[in-house]
Amino acid sequence: MLEYKKDGWKAALCLAPSLLLMCVFTFWPIINSFIMSFLNNYHFALNREDVYNTFMGVEKSYTYIMGGRFTGIGIQNFITLFRDKDFLMALKNTAFIVFISVPATVIIALLIAVGLNSIKAFRGFFQTIFFLPYVTNTIALGLVFNSLFHVDYGLVNKLFNLVGTSWINSGATWGRAMFVLFIYSIWDGLAFKIIVFLSGLQNIDKQYYQAAQIDATPRWRVFTRITVPLLSPMILYITITSFMGAFKVYSSVIGIFGTGRYGPVGNEKLLITIVGYVYEQFGVQGMPFGVGSAGSTVLFLIILLITLVQMQVSKKWVHY
Amino acid sequence: MERELYLNPKELKRYKIGTGIGRFFTYLYVIIMAVFIVVPFLWMIFSSLKPTEEIISREITFLPRTWAWSNYSKLFTGIQSIDPYGQPYYSFKPIPFHWMFFNTIVVGFFTTAGTVVTTILAAFAFSRLNFKGRETLFTILLATMMIPGEVFVITNYMTLSRYTGWIKSANHLENYAALIFPFITSVFYTFFLRQTFKQIPNELYLAAKVDGTSDFKYLMKVMIPLSQATITTIIILSMIGTWNAYIWPSFVTNSIYTEQLLVSNGLMAGLRGASETTGPNSVLNLQLAASTMVTVPLLIIFFSFKKYILRGVSRSGIKG
Amino acid sequence: MEKEKEEVFETPSEGSKTEHQSVDVRLENLTKEFTDKTGKVTVAVNDFNVTIPAGKLIGLLGPSGCGKSTTLYLIAGLLKPTSGRIYFGDEDVTDIPPEKRGIGLVFQNYALYPHMTVKQNILFPLENMKMPKDEALALAQEMAELVHIGDLMERKPNQLSGGQQQRVAIARALVKKPRVLLLDEPLSNLDARLRLQTREEIRRIQRETGITTIFVTHDQEEAMSISDEIVVMNQGLKQQMDRPQAVYEEPVNMFVAKFLGNPPINIFEANLVKGRLVLKDGEVIADGFDQPDQEVFVGLRPEYLRVSRNGKFTATIDLVEHIGRDTMILCEIKGYDHLIRAIVPNDTEYEVGQTIKLDCSKLFVFNAETGERYK
Repeated sequence: MLEYKKDGWKAALCLAPSLLLMCVFTFWPIINSFIMSFLNNYHFALNREDVYNTFMGVEKSYTYIMGGRFTGIGIQNFITLFRDKDFLMALKNTAFIVFISVPATVIIALLIAVGLNSIKAFRGFFQTIFFLPYVTNTIALGLVFNSLFHVDYGLVNKLFNLVGTSWINSGATWGRAMFVLFIYSIWDGLAFKIIVFLSGLQNIDKQYYQAAQIDATPRWRVFTRITVPLLSPMILYITITSFMGAFKVYSSVIGIFGTGRYGPVGNEKLLITIVGYVYEQFGVQGMPFGVGSAGSTVLFLIILLITLVQMQVSKKWVHY
Repeated sequence: MERELYLNPKELKRYKIGTGIGRFFTYLYVIIMAVFIVVPFLWMIFSSLKPTEEIISREITFLPRTWAWSNYSKLFTGIQSIDPYGQPYYSFKPIPFHWMFFNTIVVGFFTTAGTVVTTILAAFAFSRLNFKGRETLFTILLATMMIPGEVFVITNYMTLSRYTGWIKSANHLENYAALIFPFITSVFYTFFLRQTFKQIPNELYLAAKVDGTSDFKYLMKVMIPLSQATITTIIILSMIGTWNAYIWPSFVTNSIYTEQLLVSNGLMAGLRGASETTGPNSVLNLQLAASTMVTVPLLIIFFSFKKYILRGVSRSGIKG
Repeated sequence: MEKEKEEVFETPSEGSKTEHQSVDVRLENLTKEFTDKTGKVTVAVNDFNVTIPAGKLIGLLGPSGCGKSTTLYLIAGLLKPTSGRIYFGDEDVTDIPPEKRGIGLVFQNYALYPHMTVKQNILFPLENMKMPKDEALALAQEMAELVHIGDLMERKPNQLSGGQQQRVAIARALVKKPRVLLLDEPLSNLDARLRLQTREEIRRIQRETGITTIFVTHDQEEAMSISDEIVVMNQGLKQQMDRPQAVYEEPVNMFVAKFLGNPPINIFEANLVKGRLVLKDGEVIADGFDQPDQEVFVGLRPEYLRVSRNGKFTATIDLVEHIGRDTMILCEIKGYDHLIRAIVPNDTEYEVGQTIKLDCSKLFVFNAETGERYK
């Protein structure tokens, strides 16, 4: 670009389509969601008549806004949220997925990428295989895992002589169901991470390795003192984005257990996640979006906090 | 101080064996992980072709003993039984794959087309035009990527249901509108394309300016052709995204109207409760056949466009 | 084999700078071929035979692609030869991996670990040798002092200048007291002023440590200025190995003569007729040759030409360049298309178009096909 020029109106023209759409579908939702979490008892209705009919004759006074009604401004939603045992369950489940499956996946992916980088035969072939999960459909995959761990007919039970032990069918315990979710998350998450790590590894100048070779550096020390530090920006990027994505876990659970179910038959809320909890509000009578939005806001704050912590930690460990 | 340099053949041999063992374990690890990745695919494909007797039997068979190709036709025709009153009913409803594929392609096409247009314009503005607040605006956009998705889903649902009749509409076209509009722009792709645009040397722009080329012409004649690879990647990833979309469509489409379903939703609706079927009624193989139907097109796309997908993913990681 | 180990290897006493064990390096029939994807074979190093004497600084000189870096990497062990043997002293190291050969290598881009401080970089090889911490620190400090970066130990590589980075790389290579020190184009990444300084540093360090040192360069001035001996290479073959001044004054073929010398040597055709060297215009400029009548090439260094009234060359001045210390004139010699350069002292003024007579104090005669030098 030419430095002196001011492209104000031209830029406005170019950005107009994007920004207009984003105003409606991105910025507004953020603001709206934030507001809704502070509107006590906010319930949404599809049309005016519904609003009128549903809430006629109830003592409390309501204010109408944005197609729904609420009773006051405050943190009532948050209180309801944290009193709801389903939400607490969701927090616990989500925490498990985030803090256990993500680090595991990152480490496994890193080892695979380093391994792939060092072998010469069939590297392209293996690369293709490891990337396959990236193009799978979450629901279809959920169905596959569902059948893999089926109590009577699944491969896992047949292979390890465990027929009758329920992983995802009725009677499954929390531990076993969570295990299935772990394996699913790891399987699904490897592809992206491996590719990013591999490209980062290939960008490391070979001369560093040659210099280390001349100095008779043992393999593990090459890995810890050279490869990992030089790869640390990638590792940070992957860790941050993976954590962010893991907090949003939802489709995988639905895929494994079915629409609206987060657990086996008979215990459908077993593995409910934060996002799942929020979406559940759609099904409740009167659509209490206030609570759901509060849940979203809480989730956002958690993500923000964890990301900031990571950035802080990265100052010491990441070398550019 | 001990030095193992300048040595004898025995130490040399020991060293060589050490390296060989290291290599062996690396290969072993990579192969084991590759098997881990491939097993679900193979299980899905082969089990989809097993007749029900094999599925429910106790033994493990890898390849089907009898190839039950009819499983696939059953997906389309459904399974009929007679109820106690002598009336025929579907114990397994046919899954409308043709509609699912068609809808998804149509929605994907328009979404991608819209995304490409808005993204190109926006990326151009952010990379080549000068205007006040450019960097600030861009940072804000990036920050929105951190917001969890349900924030958008809830409000967009509200917006669309209040101001349009598109939500859960019986009208097929209106349903399309609801599916397409919120996704005609994307911060992620804008960011990605901006990176590519920035890598086009500024000198080309200056040379074009000296020749009197307008900005718009420069965009069309120079920048877009030079960024073909990235744009192709965006198109492919966007199409795959629509193929795998689940959450928004599930809220926006009324599953009663089976001809409106997209791929993921169709799968979900059609296979409700499938894993609970037992004995001769077990439709596990059909469940897997459905997954295969949905996955195979993706695999075809993947193998045809492997290069673009891989490059796009690894590029997005480098800047990160 | 054990006996050799004791002969060759001597534990240096603590803190002594000069007890690096140095050996001579002998390459026997060394050949390296590269096969690319299409099956084409490039011979990078071709039946190379050379003995590099112990404790000396040797420059490996040649144009790009002549195989000198390949040779260096073969000596290092980072490349495996297609055929031939490499000896360090009496020990055959051809099959021995690089980390077991006892070498230090300074890469062209230094390859300093960017995330470690200077101190950590220098200590790195010692960690692999499992040296006790305080001993290693003392040794690292000593090496840093040797290369004059002792006060920069806590800095990271990106906080150092190019010259300083290189010294760190040298320190890192030397800290494990190698038998042979190898440098790949050590001066090419530095600016002109720094080059002068750094090459003298390299010379000084080599003198103080006494290690057999081999460095690779394409700059003939560099090689000539500091090497004890230079090896000129072209297309994988050794052209000549001798002291720099000897190679300059007595080149063994036309390639060597052309490669050394700035401003470059003048080359023109002439004829040997009955033992006499005859120019195109008929002038006889030398005689006493044994070779049969043929066309030959004559090489004349600019500084060998003098203006003289009885000169055999008749020249018309085309261009006069004052280059500070001397004056260079470009002339046309009767009978030839291309111009000849001569370096003349500053005391006389010359003008374009002036006709002068030149005499030469020394010339080289080369075989027209092989380039080999006669007399």
